[in-house]
Amino acid sequence: MIPYFVALLLLGIPLVWIEWTLGRYGGGFEHGTAPGIFHSLLQKNRFIKYFGVIGIFGPFVIFIYYTFIASWTLGYSFYSIKGVLAPLGDQASIQSFLRGYQGLEQNGFFKSIAPAYMFFLITFSLNIFVIYYGIRGGIETLCKIALPVLFCFGIILAIRVLTLGAPDAAKPGWNVGNGLGFLWNPDFGALKSAKVWLAAAGQIFFTLSVGIGVILTYASYLSKGDDVVLSGMTAVSMNEFAEVVLGSSIIIPAAFVFFGPIDIQAIARQGAFDLGFVTMPLILGKLPLSSIFSFLWFALLFLAGVTSSVSLAQPAVAFLEDEFNISRKRAVGIFAAVGFLLCQPAIFFLGRGVVNELDFWGGTFCLVLFGTIETILFVWVFGMDKAWEEIHHGADIRIPRIFKFIIKYVTPVFLLVILGAWFFQEGLPTIFLKGVSEADKPFVLWTRLGLIALFSALAIMVKIAWRKRRKRA
Amino acid sequence: MNIYGWIFLILSWSGILTLGTFCFHRVFSKKEVK
Repeated sequence: MIPYFVALLLLGIPLVWIEWTLGRYGGGFEHGTAPGIFHSLLQKNRFIKYFGVIGIFGPFVIFIYYTFIASWTLGYSFYSIKGVLAPLGDQASIQSFLRGYQGLEQNGFFKSIAPAYMFFLITFSLNIFVIYYGIRGGIETLCKIALPVLFCFGIILAIRVLTLGAPDAAKPGWNVGNGLGFLWNPDFGALKSAKVWLAAAGQIFFTLSVGIGVILTYASYLSKGDDVVLSGMTAVSMNEFAEVVLGSSIIIPAAFVFFGPIDIQAIARQGAFDLGFVTMPLILGKLPLSSIFSFLWFALLFLAGVTSSVSLAQPAVAFLEDEFNISRKRAVGIFAAVGFLLCQPAIFFLGRGVVNELDFWGGTFCLVLFGTIETILFVWVFGMDKAWEEIHHGADIRIPRIFKFIIKYVTPVFLLVILGAWFFQEGLPTIFLKGVSEADKPFVLWTRLGLIALFSALAIMVKIAWRKRRKRA
Repeated sequence: MNIYGWIFLILSWSGILTLGTFCFHRVFSKKEVK
Protein backbone atom coordinates (compact mmCIF):
# COMPACT_ATOMS: atom_id res chain seq x y z
CA MET A 1 0.00 0.00 0.00
CA ILE A 2 2.97 2.39 0.51
CA PRO A 3 3.95 2.35 -3.22
CA TYR A 4 0.24 2.76 -4.04
CA PHE A 5 -0.02 6.01 -2.06
CA VAL A 6 3.32 7.29 -3.41
CA ALA A 7 2.12 6.60 -6.98
CA LEU A 8 -1.18 8.32 -6.17
CA LEU A 9 0.63 11.48 -5.05
CA LEU A 10 3.35 11.62 -7.70
CA LEU A 11 1.51 10.16 -10.66
CA GLY A 12 -2.24 9.86 -10.18
CA ILE A 13 -3.16 13.29 -8.85
CA PRO A 14 -0.84 15.21 -11.26
CA LEU A 15 -2.20 13.22 -14.23
CA VAL A 16 -5.79 13.90 -13.16
CA TRP A 17 -5.10 17.65 -13.12
CA ILE A 18 -3.21 17.44 -16.44
CA GLU A 19 -5.99 15.54 -18.21
CA TRP A 20 -8.83 17.67 -16.84
CA THR A 21 -6.96 20.85 -17.82
CA LEU A 22 -6.02 19.56 -21.27
CA GLY A 23 -9.62 18.51 -21.92
CA ARG A 24 -11.05 21.85 -20.83
CA TYR A 25 -8.41 23.74 -22.83
CA GLY A 26 -9.13 21.71 -26.00
CA GLY A 27 -12.87 22.08 -25.46
CA GLY A 28 -12.34 25.85 -25.76
CA PHE A 29 -11.19 25.19 -29.35
CA GLU A 30 -14.20 22.91 -29.95
CA HIS A 31 -12.09 19.76 -29.77
CA GLY A 32 -13.28 16.91 -27.57
CA THR A 33 -10.64 14.29 -28.35
CA ALA A 34 -6.89 13.97 -28.09
CA PRO A 35 -5.88 14.77 -31.73
CA GLY A 36 -7.65 18.13 -31.65
CA ILE A 37 -6.66 18.87 -28.06
CA PHE A 38 -2.97 18.22 -28.79
CA HIS A 39 -3.23 20.31 -31.97
CA SER A 40 -4.64 23.21 -29.96
CA LEU A 41 -1.53 23.08 -27.70
CA LEU A 42 0.82 23.81 -30.59
CA GLN A 43 -1.12 24.79 -33.69
CA LYS A 44 1.97 25.40 -35.80
CA ASN A 45 3.01 21.76 -35.58
CA ARG A 46 1.45 19.44 -38.19
CA PHE A 47 2.37 16.18 -36.49
CA ILE A 48 1.39 16.75 -32.86
CA LYS A 49 -2.22 15.73 -33.57
CA TYR A 50 -1.15 12.20 -34.55
CA PHE A 51 0.00 11.51 -30.97
CA GLY A 52 -3.66 11.97 -30.09
CA VAL A 53 -4.70 8.94 -32.18
CA ILE A 54 -3.63 6.82 -29.18
CA GLY A 55 -6.30 8.64 -27.11
CA ILE A 56 -9.05 7.28 -29.40
CA PHE A 57 -7.46 3.94 -30.28
CA GLY A 58 -6.77 2.88 -26.66
CA PRO A 59 -10.29 3.32 -25.25
CA PHE A 60 -11.85 1.80 -28.39
CA VAL A 61 -9.68 -1.32 -28.06
CA ILE A 62 -10.55 -1.62 -24.36
CA PHE A 63 -14.26 -1.20 -25.23
CA ILE A 64 -14.03 -4.16 -27.65
CA TYR A 65 -13.30 -6.68 -24.89
CA TYR A 66 -14.49 -4.80 -21.82
CA THR A 67 -18.15 -4.87 -22.94
CA PHE A 68 -18.04 -8.66 -23.12
CA ILE A 69 -16.39 -8.96 -19.70
CA ALA A 70 -18.90 -6.47 -18.21
CA SER A 71 -21.68 -8.69 -19.59
CA TRP A 72 -20.38 -11.65 -17.52
CA THR A 73 -21.26 -9.71 -14.38
CA LEU A 74 -24.83 -9.41 -15.65
CA GLY A 75 -24.85 -13.15 -16.32
CA TYR A 76 -23.42 -13.88 -12.87
CA SER A 77 -26.02 -11.66 -11.17
CA PHE A 78 -28.74 -13.55 -13.09
CA TYR A 79 -27.35 -16.97 -12.09
CA SER A 80 -26.89 -15.76 -8.50
CA ILE A 81 -30.53 -14.80 -8.03
CA LYS A 82 -31.53 -18.03 -9.83
CA GLY A 83 -29.61 -19.89 -7.11
CA VAL A 84 -27.15 -21.58 -9.50
CA LEU A 85 -23.94 -20.02 -8.14
CA ALA A 86 -24.51 -20.44 -4.40
CA PRO A 87 -24.33 -24.29 -4.30
CA LEU A 88 -20.96 -24.34 -6.13
CA GLY A 89 -18.81 -24.85 -3.07
CA ASP A 90 -15.33 -25.36 -4.53
CA GLN A 91 -12.93 -23.62 -6.85
CA ALA A 92 -13.00 -26.39 -9.51
CA SER A 93 -16.80 -26.17 -9.87
CA ILE A 94 -16.77 -22.39 -10.27
CA GLN A 95 -13.90 -22.57 -12.75
CA SER A 96 -15.89 -25.13 -14.72
CA PHE A 97 -18.95 -22.87 -14.55
CA LEU A 98 -16.90 -19.91 -15.85
CA ARG A 99 -15.33 -21.92 -18.69
CA GLY A 100 -18.74 -23.23 -19.73
CA TYR A 101 -20.21 -19.75 -19.61
CA GLN A 102 -17.35 -18.38 -21.74
CA GLY A 103 -17.95 -21.12 -24.32
CA LEU A 104 -14.49 -22.62 -23.72
CA GLU A 105 -15.96 -26.04 -22.93
CA GLN A 106 -19.28 -27.84 -22.95
CA ASN A 107 -20.17 -29.10 -19.49
CA GLY A 108 -23.00 -29.73 -17.10
CA PHE A 109 -23.55 -25.99 -16.69
CA PHE A 110 -23.58 -24.79 -20.32
CA LYS A 111 -23.91 -26.53 -23.67
CA SER A 112 -22.94 -23.46 -25.74
CA ILE A 113 -21.92 -19.82 -25.57
CA ALA A 114 -25.54 -18.75 -26.33
CA PRO A 115 -26.44 -17.55 -22.78
CA ALA A 116 -23.21 -15.51 -22.56
CA TYR A 117 -23.91 -14.06 -26.00
CA MET A 118 -27.42 -13.09 -24.95
CA PHE A 119 -26.06 -11.20 -21.92
CA PHE A 120 -23.48 -9.58 -24.19
CA LEU A 121 -26.25 -8.38 -26.55
CA ILE A 122 -28.18 -6.88 -23.60
CA THR A 123 -25.02 -5.15 -22.29
CA PHE A 124 -23.99 -3.87 -25.71
CA SER A 125 -27.50 -2.53 -26.44
CA LEU A 126 -27.64 -0.84 -23.03
CA ASN A 127 -24.28 0.80 -23.76
CA ILE A 128 -25.42 2.11 -27.12
CA PHE A 129 -28.71 3.33 -25.59
CA VAL A 130 -26.84 5.30 -22.92
CA ILE A 131 -24.25 6.68 -25.38
CA TYR A 132 -27.04 7.70 -27.78
CA TYR A 133 -28.70 9.87 -25.15
CA GLY A 134 -25.43 11.73 -24.66
CA ILE A 135 -23.64 13.04 -21.59
CA ARG A 136 -26.61 14.73 -19.96
CA GLY A 137 -29.43 12.40 -20.95
CA GLY A 138 -27.42 9.19 -20.91
CA ILE A 139 -24.33 9.01 -18.74
CA GLU A 140 -25.42 11.63 -16.21
CA THR A 141 -28.76 9.88 -15.66
CA LEU A 142 -27.09 6.47 -15.42
CA CYS A 143 -24.48 7.74 -12.94
CA LYS A 144 -27.08 9.57 -10.82
CA ILE A 145 -28.87 6.25 -10.33
CA ALA A 146 -26.04 3.75 -10.58
CA LEU A 147 -23.40 5.39 -8.38
CA PRO A 148 -25.46 5.96 -5.22
CA VAL A 149 -26.85 2.40 -5.60
CA LEU A 150 -23.30 1.12 -6.12
CA PHE A 151 -22.04 2.90 -2.99
CA CYS A 152 -24.95 1.58 -0.93
CA PHE A 153 -24.19 -1.99 -2.13
CA GLY A 154 -20.53 -1.46 -1.29
CA ILE A 155 -21.25 -0.16 2.20
CA ILE A 156 -23.67 -3.06 2.91
CA LEU A 157 -21.07 -5.62 1.80
CA ALA A 158 -18.26 -3.90 3.73
CA ILE A 159 -20.33 -3.88 6.95
CA ARG A 160 -21.20 -7.55 6.42
CA VAL A 161 -17.56 -8.53 5.94
CA LEU A 162 -16.22 -6.38 8.81
CA THR A 163 -18.72 -7.98 11.20
CA LEU A 164 -17.79 -11.56 10.24
CA GLY A 165 -15.33 -11.91 13.15
CA ALA A 166 -13.83 -15.42 13.04
CA PRO A 167 -16.61 -17.62 11.59
CA ASP A 168 -14.68 -20.88 12.11
CA ALA A 169 -14.30 -21.40 15.88
CA ALA A 170 -11.56 -23.98 15.24
CA LYS A 171 -9.45 -21.33 13.46
CA PRO A 172 -9.59 -18.16 15.59
CA GLY A 173 -6.64 -16.65 13.69
CA TRP A 174 -8.71 -16.56 10.51
CA ASN A 175 -10.46 -13.35 11.54
CA VAL A 176 -11.24 -9.99 9.94
CA GLY A 177 -8.52 -8.14 11.90
CA ASN A 178 -5.82 -10.41 10.49
CA GLY A 179 -7.48 -10.16 7.07
CA LEU A 180 -7.07 -6.39 7.21
CA GLY A 181 -3.50 -6.96 8.40
CA PHE A 182 -2.74 -8.98 5.25
CA LEU A 183 -3.44 -5.83 3.27
CA TRP A 184 -2.30 -3.09 5.66
CA ASN A 185 0.69 -4.41 7.62
CA PRO A 186 3.61 -2.59 5.97
CA ASP A 187 6.20 -4.87 4.35
CA PHE A 188 9.22 -2.55 4.16
CA GLY A 189 11.30 -5.25 2.44
CA ALA A 190 8.94 -5.22 -0.56
CA LEU A 191 9.75 -1.53 -1.18
CA LYS A 192 13.02 -2.63 -2.83
CA SER A 193 11.15 -4.56 -5.54
CA ALA A 194 10.68 -2.71 -8.85
CA LYS A 195 7.77 -5.03 -9.65
CA VAL A 196 5.81 -3.79 -6.63
CA TRP A 197 6.26 -0.15 -7.69
CA LEU A 198 5.22 -0.98 -11.26
CA ALA A 199 2.11 -2.81 -10.06
CA ALA A 200 1.19 0.13 -7.81
CA ALA A 201 1.62 2.62 -10.66
CA GLY A 202 -0.44 0.41 -13.00
CA GLN A 203 -3.21 0.24 -10.42
CA ILE A 204 -3.27 4.03 -10.13
CA PHE A 205 -3.61 4.36 -13.93
CA PHE A 206 -6.61 2.03 -14.01
CA THR A 207 -8.31 3.26 -10.92
CA LEU A 208 -8.22 6.96 -11.82
CA SER A 209 -8.83 6.29 -15.55
CA VAL A 210 -5.80 8.37 -16.47
CA GLY A 211 -3.82 7.75 -19.65
CA ILE A 212 -6.88 6.41 -21.47
CA GLY A 213 -8.17 9.56 -23.15
CA VAL A 214 -11.64 9.41 -21.64
CA ILE A 215 -11.16 12.24 -19.12
CA LEU A 216 -10.01 14.50 -21.98
CA THR A 217 -13.38 14.04 -23.68
CA TYR A 218 -15.44 14.50 -20.51
CA ALA A 219 -13.44 17.59 -19.49
CA SER A 220 -13.84 19.13 -22.97
CA TYR A 221 -17.51 19.74 -22.09
CA LEU A 222 -16.46 22.03 -19.22
CA SER A 223 -16.50 25.79 -19.67
CA LYS A 224 -13.41 27.94 -19.24
CA GLY A 225 -14.44 29.04 -15.72
CA ASP A 226 -15.08 25.54 -14.40
CA ASP A 227 -12.80 24.45 -11.60
CA VAL A 228 -10.66 21.49 -12.62
CA VAL A 229 -8.49 21.53 -9.47
CA LEU A 230 -11.35 20.99 -7.05
CA SER A 231 -13.32 18.74 -9.43
CA GLY A 232 -10.24 16.58 -10.02
CA MET A 233 -9.51 16.29 -6.29
CA THR A 234 -13.17 15.49 -5.55
CA ALA A 235 -13.09 12.70 -8.14
CA VAL A 236 -9.85 11.37 -6.62
CA SER A 237 -11.28 11.45 -3.08
CA MET A 238 -14.45 9.59 -4.11
CA ASN A 239 -12.42 7.05 -6.03
CA GLU A 240 -10.07 6.46 -3.11
CA PHE A 241 -13.03 6.10 -0.76
CA ALA A 242 -14.51 3.42 -3.02
CA GLU A 243 -11.22 1.62 -3.64
CA VAL A 244 -9.29 1.97 -0.38
CA VAL A 245 -11.99 2.33 2.27
CA LEU A 246 -14.72 0.11 0.77
CA GLY A 247 -12.63 -2.11 -1.53
CA SER A 248 -10.07 -3.00 1.11
CA SER A 249 -12.86 -3.90 3.53
CA ILE A 250 -14.52 -6.44 1.26
CA ILE A 251 -12.55 -8.85 -0.91
CA ILE A 252 -9.22 -9.41 0.85
CA PRO A 253 -10.52 -9.60 4.46
CA ALA A 254 -13.34 -11.92 3.32
CA ALA A 255 -10.92 -14.13 1.38
CA PHE A 256 -8.61 -14.28 4.42
CA VAL A 257 -11.42 -15.20 6.79
CA PHE A 258 -12.65 -18.06 4.57
CA PHE A 259 -9.42 -19.36 3.02
CA GLY A 260 -6.78 -18.55 5.64
CA PRO A 261 -3.29 -17.01 5.47
CA ILE A 262 -1.77 -19.63 3.11
CA ASP A 263 -4.45 -19.94 0.42
CA ILE A 264 -5.05 -16.19 0.24
CA GLN A 265 -1.51 -15.71 -1.08
CA ALA A 266 -2.24 -18.11 -3.94
CA ILE A 267 -5.55 -16.32 -4.57
CA ALA A 268 -3.86 -12.90 -4.62
CA ARG A 269 -1.33 -14.20 -7.18
CA GLN A 270 -4.13 -15.35 -9.51
CA GLY A 271 -4.95 -11.73 -10.30
CA ALA A 272 -8.12 -9.69 -10.59
CA PHE A 273 -9.75 -11.95 -13.17
CA ASP A 274 -9.88 -15.07 -11.00
CA LEU A 275 -10.54 -12.96 -7.93
CA GLY A 276 -13.61 -11.48 -9.63
CA PHE A 277 -15.24 -14.49 -11.27
CA VAL A 278 -13.93 -17.53 -9.37
CA THR A 279 -12.94 -16.46 -5.86
CA MET A 280 -15.68 -13.88 -5.21
CA PRO A 281 -18.55 -16.34 -5.86
CA LEU A 282 -16.81 -18.72 -3.43
CA ILE A 283 -16.52 -16.01 -0.79
CA LEU A 284 -20.08 -14.83 -1.36
CA GLY A 285 -21.30 -18.43 -1.22
CA LYS A 286 -20.00 -18.65 2.36
CA LEU A 287 -22.06 -15.66 3.54
CA PRO A 288 -25.56 -16.04 4.94
CA LEU A 289 -28.20 -15.10 2.31
CA SER A 290 -25.49 -15.84 -0.24
CA SER A 291 -27.74 -15.66 -3.33
CA ILE A 292 -28.86 -12.14 -2.43
CA PHE A 293 -25.36 -10.90 -1.56
CA SER A 294 -23.98 -12.52 -4.69
CA PHE A 295 -26.69 -10.88 -6.80
CA LEU A 296 -25.99 -7.50 -5.16
CA TRP A 297 -22.25 -7.86 -5.75
CA PHE A 298 -22.46 -8.75 -9.44
CA ALA A 299 -25.24 -6.23 -10.09
CA LEU A 300 -22.91 -3.63 -8.52
CA LEU A 301 -20.08 -4.68 -10.78
CA PHE A 302 -22.39 -4.60 -13.80
CA LEU A 303 -23.51 -1.02 -13.10
CA ALA A 304 -19.88 0.03 -12.59
CA GLY A 305 -18.90 -1.82 -15.77
CA VAL A 306 -21.54 -0.07 -17.88
CA THR A 307 -20.52 3.39 -16.65
CA SER A 308 -16.94 2.49 -17.64
CA SER A 309 -17.72 0.97 -21.04
CA VAL A 310 -19.96 3.92 -21.90
CA SER A 311 -17.10 6.29 -21.09
CA LEU A 312 -14.70 4.21 -23.22
CA ALA A 313 -16.95 4.80 -26.22
CA GLN A 314 -17.03 8.57 -25.77
CA PRO A 315 -13.69 9.51 -27.43
CA ALA A 316 -14.55 7.67 -30.68
CA VAL A 317 -18.08 9.09 -30.82
CA ALA A 318 -16.90 12.61 -29.92
CA PHE A 319 -14.16 12.36 -32.58
CA LEU A 320 -16.73 11.62 -35.29
CA GLU A 321 -19.00 14.40 -34.06
CA ASP A 322 -16.35 17.11 -33.57
CA GLU A 323 -13.95 16.49 -36.42
CA PHE A 324 -16.38 15.27 -39.10
CA ASN A 325 -19.33 17.47 -38.11
CA ILE A 326 -21.80 14.60 -38.08
CA SER A 327 -24.81 14.28 -35.80
CA ARG A 328 -24.60 12.31 -32.55
CA LYS A 329 -27.23 9.90 -33.89
CA ARG A 330 -25.08 9.05 -36.93
CA ALA A 331 -21.84 8.97 -34.92
CA VAL A 332 -23.36 6.51 -32.44
CA GLY A 333 -24.72 4.43 -35.35
CA ILE A 334 -21.28 4.17 -36.97
CA PHE A 335 -19.65 3.40 -33.62
CA ALA A 336 -22.24 0.73 -32.80
CA ALA A 337 -21.81 -1.02 -36.17
CA VAL A 338 -17.99 -1.01 -36.10
CA GLY A 339 -17.82 -1.75 -32.37
CA PHE A 340 -20.24 -4.68 -32.64
CA LEU A 341 -18.23 -6.27 -35.46
CA LEU A 342 -14.93 -5.85 -33.62
CA CYS A 343 -16.35 -7.33 -30.41
CA GLN A 344 -16.97 -10.69 -32.13
CA PRO A 345 -13.37 -12.02 -32.19
CA ALA A 346 -13.04 -11.14 -28.49
CA ILE A 347 -16.13 -13.27 -27.76
CA PHE A 348 -15.57 -16.26 -30.02
CA PHE A 349 -11.76 -16.47 -29.78
CA LEU A 350 -11.45 -15.65 -26.09
CA GLY A 351 -9.63 -18.92 -25.42
CA ARG A 352 -7.17 -18.19 -28.24
CA GLY A 353 -5.47 -15.26 -26.54
CA VAL A 354 -7.33 -12.50 -28.41
CA VAL A 355 -8.54 -10.72 -25.26
CA ASN A 356 -5.07 -10.91 -23.65
CA GLU A 357 -3.59 -9.35 -26.78
CA LEU A 358 -6.21 -6.57 -26.87
CA ASP A 359 -5.69 -5.93 -23.16
CA PHE A 360 -1.92 -5.77 -23.54
CA TRP A 361 -1.99 -3.12 -26.28
CA GLY A 362 -5.16 -1.19 -25.45
CA GLY A 363 -5.35 -1.63 -21.70
CA THR A 364 -1.70 -1.55 -20.67
CA PHE A 365 0.77 -0.27 -23.25
CA CYS A 366 -1.39 2.60 -24.54
CA LEU A 367 -2.21 3.81 -21.00
CA VAL A 368 1.40 4.32 -19.95
CA LEU A 369 2.46 5.62 -23.37
CA PHE A 370 -0.42 8.09 -23.62
CA GLY A 371 0.08 9.27 -20.02
CA THR A 372 3.74 9.94 -20.77
CA ILE A 373 3.02 11.75 -24.05
CA GLU A 374 0.32 14.01 -22.66
CA THR A 375 2.46 14.94 -19.63
CA ILE A 376 5.46 15.83 -21.82
CA LEU A 377 3.30 17.79 -24.29
CA PHE A 378 1.51 19.70 -21.53
CA VAL A 379 4.50 20.46 -19.36
CA TRP A 380 7.35 20.78 -21.83
CA VAL A 381 5.70 21.71 -25.16
CA PHE A 382 2.86 23.90 -23.89
CA GLY A 383 5.13 25.23 -21.13
CA MET A 384 4.98 24.76 -17.37
CA ASP A 385 4.17 28.40 -16.53
CA LYS A 386 1.27 28.48 -19.00
CA ALA A 387 0.20 25.03 -17.86
CA TRP A 388 0.20 26.08 -14.18
CA GLU A 389 -1.86 29.18 -15.02
CA GLU A 390 -4.27 27.10 -17.13
CA ILE A 391 -4.76 24.54 -14.35
CA HIS A 392 -5.70 27.32 -11.90
CA HIS A 393 -8.12 29.07 -14.26
CA GLY A 394 -11.41 29.29 -12.33
CA ALA A 395 -9.93 27.29 -9.46
CA ASP A 396 -11.39 27.69 -5.99
CA ILE A 397 -8.24 26.37 -4.32
CA ARG A 398 -4.52 26.78 -5.09
CA ILE A 399 -2.45 23.67 -5.61
CA PRO A 400 0.59 23.59 -3.26
CA ARG A 401 3.65 24.88 -5.17
CA ILE A 402 5.53 21.63 -4.57
CA PHE A 403 3.25 20.10 -7.20
CA LYS A 404 4.66 22.52 -9.81
CA PHE A 405 8.01 20.79 -9.33
CA ILE A 406 6.39 17.33 -9.17
CA ILE A 407 4.37 17.84 -12.36
CA LYS A 408 7.34 19.31 -14.24
CA TYR A 409 10.05 16.84 -13.23
CA VAL A 410 8.94 13.98 -11.01
CA THR A 411 5.84 12.83 -12.93
CA PRO A 412 7.49 12.67 -16.40
CA VAL A 413 10.61 10.94 -15.01
CA PHE A 414 8.47 8.49 -13.01
CA LEU A 415 6.43 7.76 -16.17
CA LEU A 416 9.51 7.27 -18.35
CA VAL A 417 11.04 4.91 -15.77
CA ILE A 418 7.78 2.92 -15.61
CA LEU A 419 7.53 2.80 -19.40
CA GLY A 420 11.14 1.63 -19.74
CA ALA A 421 11.03 -0.93 -16.94
CA TRP A 422 7.65 -2.25 -18.02
CA PHE A 423 8.79 -2.51 -21.65
CA PHE A 424 11.78 -4.68 -20.77
CA GLN A 425 9.99 -6.78 -18.15
CA GLU A 426 6.68 -7.43 -19.90
CA GLY A 427 6.70 -5.66 -23.27
CA LEU A 428 9.48 -7.54 -25.04
CA PRO A 429 8.35 -11.06 -24.02
CA THR A 430 4.80 -10.24 -25.18
CA ILE A 431 5.92 -8.73 -28.49
CA PHE A 432 7.96 -11.88 -29.24
CA LEU A 433 4.95 -14.10 -28.32
CA LYS A 434 6.68 -15.68 -25.35
CA GLY A 435 4.36 -18.19 -23.69
CA VAL A 436 1.87 -18.21 -26.59
CA SER A 437 1.11 -21.73 -27.83
CA GLU A 438 1.67 -22.63 -31.50
CA ALA A 439 -2.09 -23.14 -31.94
CA ASP A 440 -2.85 -19.63 -30.65
CA LYS A 441 -0.13 -17.78 -32.58
CA PRO A 442 -2.21 -17.22 -35.78
CA PHE A 443 -5.06 -15.73 -33.71
CA VAL A 444 -2.69 -13.43 -31.81
CA LEU A 445 -0.97 -12.32 -35.01
CA TRP A 446 -4.29 -11.64 -36.76
CA THR A 447 -5.38 -9.60 -33.73
CA ARG A 448 -2.16 -7.63 -33.98
CA LEU A 449 -2.74 -7.00 -37.70
CA GLY A 450 -6.29 -5.90 -36.93
CA LEU A 451 -5.01 -3.46 -34.32
CA ILE A 452 -2.46 -2.02 -36.77
CA ALA A 453 -5.28 -1.63 -39.34
CA LEU A 454 -7.50 0.10 -36.75
CA PHE A 455 -4.72 2.45 -35.65
CA SER A 456 -3.86 3.28 -39.29
CA ALA A 457 -7.54 3.88 -40.14
CA LEU A 458 -7.84 6.32 -37.20
CA ALA A 459 -4.62 8.13 -38.23
CA ILE A 460 -5.97 8.46 -41.81
CA MET A 461 -9.27 9.77 -40.44
CA VAL A 462 -7.35 12.43 -38.48
CA LYS A 463 -5.55 13.43 -41.69
CA ILE A 464 -8.86 13.64 -43.63
CA ALA A 465 -10.55 15.60 -40.84
CA TRP A 466 -7.78 18.22 -40.78
CA ARG A 467 -7.76 18.48 -44.58
CA LYS A 468 -11.51 19.14 -44.49
CA ARG A 469 -10.98 21.66 -41.70
CA ARG A 470 -8.36 23.53 -43.77
CA LYS A 471 -10.71 23.62 -46.80
CA ARG A 472 -13.53 24.99 -44.64
CA ALA A 473 -11.19 27.64 -43.22
CA MET B 1 -3.04 -6.83 12.24
CA ASN B 2 0.00 -5.30 13.89
CA ILE B 3 0.27 -1.78 15.33
CA TYR B 4 1.91 -0.40 12.18
CA GLY B 5 -0.95 -1.80 10.09
CA TRP B 6 -3.52 -0.10 12.32
CA ILE B 7 -1.63 3.20 12.21
CA PHE B 8 -1.31 2.98 8.43
CA LEU B 9 -4.99 2.08 8.00
CA ILE B 10 -6.20 4.86 10.31
CA LEU B 11 -3.93 7.47 8.69
CA SER B 12 -4.98 6.45 5.18
CA TRP B 13 -8.69 6.26 5.88
CA SER B 14 -8.74 9.52 7.82
CA GLY B 15 -6.69 11.21 5.06
CA ILE B 16 -9.12 10.04 2.39
CA LEU B 17 -12.20 10.94 4.44
CA THR B 18 -10.76 14.38 5.33
CA LEU B 19 -9.91 15.06 1.68
CA GLY B 20 -13.40 13.94 0.61
CA THR B 21 -15.11 16.09 3.26
CA PHE B 22 -12.97 19.11 2.34
CA CYS B 23 -13.64 18.71 -1.40
CA PHE B 24 -17.38 18.15 -1.06
CA HIS B 25 -17.67 21.03 1.41
CA ARG B 26 -15.94 23.35 -1.09
CA VAL B 27 -18.00 22.01 -4.01
CA PHE B 28 -21.35 22.46 -2.27
CA SER B 29 -20.50 25.83 -0.69
CA LYS B 30 -19.36 27.20 -4.04
CA LYS B 31 -21.81 29.51 -5.78
CA GLU B 32 -22.82 28.47 -9.28
CA VAL B 33 -21.35 30.93 -11.81
CA LYS B 34 -23.77 31.49 -14.68
